[in-house]
Amino acid sequence: MIVKDMDFNFDEFMAWVGEDTDTLMMLLWIIPVIIFVFYGQRIQLLISSNEIKKDIEKLEEYTSTTKKDFLKYVKNNLTSSSDPSKKLDSFFDYFTIMPVDLDPNGIISKINHLVRSREDFIRLQINNMFTDLSSVELSKLQNLLEIVTTLQLFHKHTRHLYLTAKKQKNFPLILPLQMMIPFIMEEAEALKDAMHAIKRGQPIGDSIGPMIVGELMLETKKENVTFETVWSKTTFEDRDLFLLKAEGPNATVGRPGDGFEKIISTKKPDLVIMIDAALKLEGENSASIAKGFGAAIGGIGTERFKIEEIATKNEIPILALVVKQSIYEAITLMTDDIAHQADTVKEELLQMIRDNTVSGQTILVIGVGNTIGVAQ
Amino acid sequence: MKKSERKLSTCYTFLKCQSCKISKKRKFEDGDVVFSKTQNCSDCDGKMLITKIFGETMD
Repeated sequence: MIVKDMDFNFDEFMAWVGEDTDTLMMLLWIIPVIIFVFYGQRIQLLISSNEIKKDIEKLEEYTSTTKKDFLKYVKNNLTSSSDPSKKLDSFFDYFTIMPVDLDPNGIISKINHLVRSREDFIRLQINNMFTDLSSVELSKLQNLLEIVTTLQLFHKHTRHLYLTAKKQKNFPLILPLQMMIPFIMEEAEALKDAMHAIKRGQPIGDSIGPMIVGELMLETKKENVTFETVWSKTTFEDRDLFLLKAEGPNATVGRPGDGFEKIISTKKPDLVIMIDAALKLEGENSASIAKGFGAAIGGIGTERFKIEEIATKNEIPILALVVKQSIYEAITLMTDDIAHQADTVKEELLQMIRDNTVSGQTILVIGVGNTIGVAQ
Repeated sequence: MKKSERKLSTCYTFLKCQSCKISKKRKFEDGDVVFSKTQNCSDCDGKMLITKIFGETMD
């Protein structure tokens, strides 16, 4: 009011304050405190939401570039009687409603059925869309489609949480998003960069398990044990080795659970060893090898459940051999560090067999992971 | 892996001769698959087997 009604004179103001500047200093301290008391949350919301907004824009960009990339790949490499863009575009918005878990009894078979139905549906639709589609191309398309769909889902969900928090001016609502967004972005960047390797059919970090078992399968008679899954028999130091992996070089993880079930109906192994890629903890070295107990297999959990159940029923011990890597390394082109660990992993596997079995016993070795670019 | 560590990588194919065991590294070509036999060995004319395909980071 003083400023509005009369010309502001700094000297007069200082005179009013007096020689003692304590009043001015007090004002300088109190005003920000009052601002922060009443508007602190809003300021925090503003700062946090600006950072999140930048990440959401990045997610949107990743979604649109991968979508364009995917459609361009389809147009340039596959033959179709009609323009597939529209139909493929509709696949990006497909969603899955997970089974109700109020009564968890029997939920695994429900999830398994749901996931398999979705895969079968997409596979059939893509197969009908193009002519002369090889199984390798089909599996690559499924993987590419999965990448675009996942990125779109990330974008939609983060945007939803962000907009809801902003709309309701609800700061606590943005906190979980602020905590989760670095992890979401890490996975999103990995997915975006995975497109290139998958398009060209190159092995990814996750392919290390199938690569070890694939090498052992060379010069053996391979048989299809179940959908997109092969197995063979060989011997090692007077022991029988059953080898199981996804059918390469398709971009697939196969169905190791079903494969194990079928193999056990012919002969019960004395030991199961699973080789897989595992997410490294912060501070751990990439491509380092770790050994342990239990079923080393990721995914939604249905395959692991099946393997664990069969092993428990038949009292078969399961050992795990994993190659540590980041999420980025696991789904993008295999790094030289991981590839060069293959010989060491194979040596570790053979030593594991020597240490845990005696001659005459049977060992099932499962190479878990996406076998893209890795034959057998 | 930090963002700064994610530099462009070139894909290489590592081959090993089945007869003379000589190893060779060349740039990845479309159609290369690990454990597939490709060209003949330039030294002994034996079959070369692809043993690894990997990306090397460009500095």
